[in-house]
Parts: sequence; structure tokens; C-alpha cells
Amino acid sequence: MEQPFSLTSEVRDGTLIIATSGYVNNVGGEAIAAEFARHFAGGVRRVVINLGGSKVVNSVGMSFLIEIIERLQEAGGKLVFTNLDPAVEKMLSIMGLFQFAGKAPTVDGALGEFAASGGTP
Amino acid sequence: MTGGSAESVRSRKGEIESLERAFRALSGAGTAAELAARLHASLSSWFGSPVRIARSGTAGWELLAGEPGSMPPEKGGGLASAEGGRLCMVRATPDGSRYGVVVDRQEPGEEDLTALGLFVTVFESLLREVIARKHEKDLIFSLNHRVLQLNSLIDTGIEVASLECRAPHHVALERAASLTNAARGVLRVSHEGRTTEEVMFPVGSAASPGEAGGRTIRTSFAFGGGCYEFTLMDKESRQGPVSFDGTDQLLLDALARQVLASLENRYLLRQALEKQKIEQDLAVAASIQQRILPKALPRIEGYDIAGINIPSKSVGGDYFDCIPLAGNRLALVIADVAGKGVPAALLVSSFHAYLSAFLEAPVAPAALATRLNSVVARASTEDKFITAFFAVLDTSTGAMETVSAGHNPVLLRTARGELKELSLGGIPLGMLDMEFPYQSETLTLEKGDRLLLYTDGVTEAFDEQEKMYDSASPLRDFVAGHCPERAEVFVRDLIADVKRFAGAAPQNDDITALYLIRT
Repeated sequence: MEQPFSLTSEVRDGTLIIATSGYVNNVGGEAIAAEFARHFAGGVRRVVINLGGSKVVNSVGMSFLIEIIERLQEAGGKLVFTNLDPAVEKMLSIMGLFQFAGKAPTVDGALGEFAASGGTP
Repeated sequence: MTGGSAESVRSRKGEIESLERAFRALSGAGTAAELAARLHASLSSWFGSPVRIARSGTAGWELLAGEPGSMPPEKGGGLASAEGGRLCMVRATPDGSRYGVVVDRQEPGEEDLTALGLFVTVFESLLREVIARKHEKDLIFSLNHRVLQLNSLIDTGIEVASLECRAPHHVALERAASLTNAARGVLRVSHEGRTTEEVMFPVGSAASPGEAGGRTIRTSFAFGGGCYEFTLMDKESRQGPVSFDGTDQLLLDALARQVLASLENRYLLRQALEKQKIEQDLAVAASIQQRILPKALPRIEGYDIAGINIPSKSVGGDYFDCIPLAGNRLALVIADVAGKGVPAALLVSSFHAYLSAFLEAPVAPAALATRLNSVVARASTEDKFITAFFAVLDTSTGAMETVSAGHNPVLLRTARGELKELSLGGIPLGMLDMEFPYQSETLTLEKGDRLLLYTDGVTEAFDEQEKMYDSASPLRDFVAGHCPERAEVFVRDLIADVKRFAGAAPQNDDITALYLIRT
């Protein structure tokens, strides 16, 4: 059964990496958005969200993720999701998130993609 | 054109270009708040005075941009107006909101009113676009969410139906909570009013419902003597907690039904597997039973002997044998264990082993019955016993000693046409754990005498109307009236008669018969 929400974050080579654990709902979405906003204001434009610890995401949580994608798009940045549980990956896909965000099996894979694109998204 | 006119035209042209730049600056805003901020910047620049943009909410005007100050009039019209040292304009939008603009200006002119009117008209037009885009986005999100709900409902149905899914009710709770945007949920399983399982989603969340009405939905079903109750609490939205709707209840009900179907299927599968296991055990038992029955009967000069055992589908406990003993003697045995299945097969197997052991040494039938009664009583449970008939025949003289341990009367048809029943003996074997004194009877088989040993599978065969063979067509009559030359023919005809009587009715018991003719 899903755990209560928590997250950790780090910035590696200019990329914000947020790792979540637990139910991504209103509380979880707000926490992710707040963490993103803090670093976005500081100029971060590349973001990796590792959802490996989250097996359940509701649509309110997803709306926060969509907002992050939109803000990054407007600023010429990019978001990549990693470590997706198959059920979560399907949910994000149906909700259309991968039209504007990337996905990678691992955080290192996502960072590799950023590096391969010359450090730009 | 005079110099003054040319100057005036240039000035007008400059104003128009300046307005166009200001209008362009307004476009491209993604949200109403962002658009208001841009309008504020443009108006501040145009008028060089303090500007306030406000939106009418439930608590009156809400300032969107600008420093706090006087707000627009509550009943402002659609036209720009000048009053009390300020310019005001209020417009209603398609989503039901009202936006108001206030420009502090001590002596506003007609040009100011016109400029404000133009700015607000452009703002209103762009605001309609922003609102339409937001509606479109919300609609797409809502449609995608509906697709997601349906897809997840199907996926969950498949997942909970899988035998690899260890706890389908846990999966359903998790899915129901996420699909309905419930902040939390609880599953309670109770038996006779006592909670036997309680699962919270997410782990550690409060199990009691929220205090606000309408913030909880429930569904439940009964299965296996237990009650499974799913409760979802505190539906979330970006605007704060909201009430669950009819669709949420439908989803929860549908997911619960999937769990019920899964539990029922698992139960039926377990039953089928258990039945299969029992059938396998019965097949083994039947195999054991068949192995201890004689494959061929001995050929004894002066006698013709035939026997048959037709097992029923459920393993019974019939037994017969024809065992040559020392000194031209022959033991005839038939037995029937009370009950069916593996226990009966095991008991008849034990009976066979004891019988073989006891016949190693010379023993009278009555003493044999006494010894067998004791060992069977110790080897069986209280409800298990064996009816049996033993005869020891001196094949050279025809002298025979018999004992019946509660078995069906053995029928003797003499060459002269008389019919006698041999039933002297005692209680069925194993019924009482004691040295029971069985009685035996002696007689002499003459040439042409015939002896039929049988089990109740013959006499108690039922037809489709549930009539019993022996009551409708007494076996005694058949034995008395049917005297073929060969024992084998008699047995074949007897079985044919029983089967003809039973018709399509299933055979519920083993049918066993042993027939001897002194030729």
C-alpha cells in the first residue's frame, strides 16, 4: 500500500532532480510544484522528476506536473520523468504529459539525454 | 495643409502607434492574472498615474494589480466614466466574473476616457481568448481523465482477476482513491461485527471520515461470511476539498464488484482444485482396491466358479476372493466396508492383509471371524465396519462351514430346486472391539448345488424412479429360476439383469458377486 508523500531534491550540473515517494495527490503535487518554483526562480530550466517511489498519482497531482511542464516550456526548459511504474507511465501517457515532457528509465539516463543535447533541453 | 494641421496629424499618428504598441504588449498572456498585470503596466505607462485592476469576487473587489486604493464602483457600467478624480470602467466576462479598472487622474479629458475605453475593450477581447483557452484545456484534461478512469477500470479488473494479485481488495482501494481524487481511503473487512482487517490508503492516514458532509463515499459487499467495506474520504481539487459526485460512487461500486468477482472466482477455483485432488486420491484408492481383488479365480476340479466386481465412481469397499487352502480346502470370502472413498479403500486393504495372514494357518471360519472382528475394530474408526461372509469348502467331499459377519444372506440353490439362505454368524466385523463368539453352520454341497455370494450393490441397485432391484425383482427369484450350465454365464446374466433394471440411473455402489456350482 502507498506510503504518505515525501520528496528529496538535488541540483546536479544545473539540472534539478526531484525524487518522490508516496501518493502524488494535492499535497504531493503542491510539494513538487513548490520545490520546482524555488529552483525555477533561481534559473533552473532542466528538471528530472524521479517518480520511482510513487505508484499512485491522481489527477490533481497530475495538474501540478502539467503546470511545471508549461512553465518550463514557456521558459525554453524541459522536464523528464524517470523510474516510472508501468501503471503511472500509462496514466501520464493517457493524460498527454509525454507530448511535452520526456521520460527515461533512470535519472542517469535522463541526465545523459540532457548532456547529449549539448546541455540544452 | 497648414503647419499646425501637419503637426496635429503627426501627433495623432504617434498616439495611434503608441496605442498599437501598448495593445501588442497585452497579447500573449496565458492567464487572466498575467493579462491583468500587463494591462496594469500598459495603463500605468500610458497615463503616468496610479492604476488598479480588480476582479469582483464573493467578498467584493479583489485587487489583481496595482497598489491598494479606491476600487471600482459596485454598479459600474460598460463605459468609461470619470468621477471624483479618477477614471473607472467595469466589464463583465463570459465566465461570470467582472473586471474593473481605476486610473487616478484629477482632471481627466475626453481623450483619457477614449483611451481607457480602448484599452479595456482590447483587454476584454484578450481575456475572452484566455478564458476560452483555459476552458479548452480544462475540457481536454477532463476528457483525458475520463479515458484514464475507464482504462484504469479495465486494467484493474484484469489485475484483480489475476491469481498473482495477492490482495485484490487492496489494489481496488488504491485505484478507487486515485481515480476519484480521494485524499485517503480505508478498507475494513469484518466478520460477525468484528473487524478482521483494516487497510488505510495511504499507509498511516486517519481511518475516520472527515467532518464535512458529502466528503465521504462508501460501498460494501458480503463474501465468505465477511463484510468488505470501502470508504473514500476528502475528495481533492485545486480549489480545495469538494464533494464526491455520482461518477465517483459508480467507480467505487464498479471496483468493489470486480473484487467480489475475483474473490468468488478464487473460491470456485480452490474448490475445483480440492475436488480434483479428491478425485486423484479416489483414483489411487480405486487402484489399490482393484489390485487386491483376484485377477483370476482358481480352477478346482468338480467346481465351476466365477466372480465379478464392478466399482462405482466413488470408491467403495467391496472385496471378494477364492483362496485355495491346504488339504483340498477352499476359502470363499466376500466383504463390504461401510462407507466409500479413501477410508473404505484403506480399511478393505487392511482387511485383505489380515485375512491373508490368518489363513496362513488352519483356522475355522468362526474363529477367523472372531480374530478379524478384533483387528478390524482396532484398525477402523467407530463408524467404519465390514460385513463379510466366509466359507471353507472341502472340495473333495463338498462339506462346507460358513459364517456370516452381518453380511447379506448367501443364497444356496440346491440341485433339487430348493433355495436356502446362509446367514448364521454374528455382528459385522469391527463393530465391537471384543472377542465376539461367531456361530458357524455346516452343510454339504451336492452335485448341481449352486451358491451365490453378493454385496448390497446387487440388491440395492436403484432404477431411475429410485426403486430398489431386490424389491422390484427379488434376487431370490432370479437365483431360483436361472440355472445356466456355466457359473460365468450366471454372473454375466445377473449383472445384465441388474443393469437392465437400473436403466440410466447411476451406479452408486460397488457391485460384487461370487458364484459357485458343484458340477
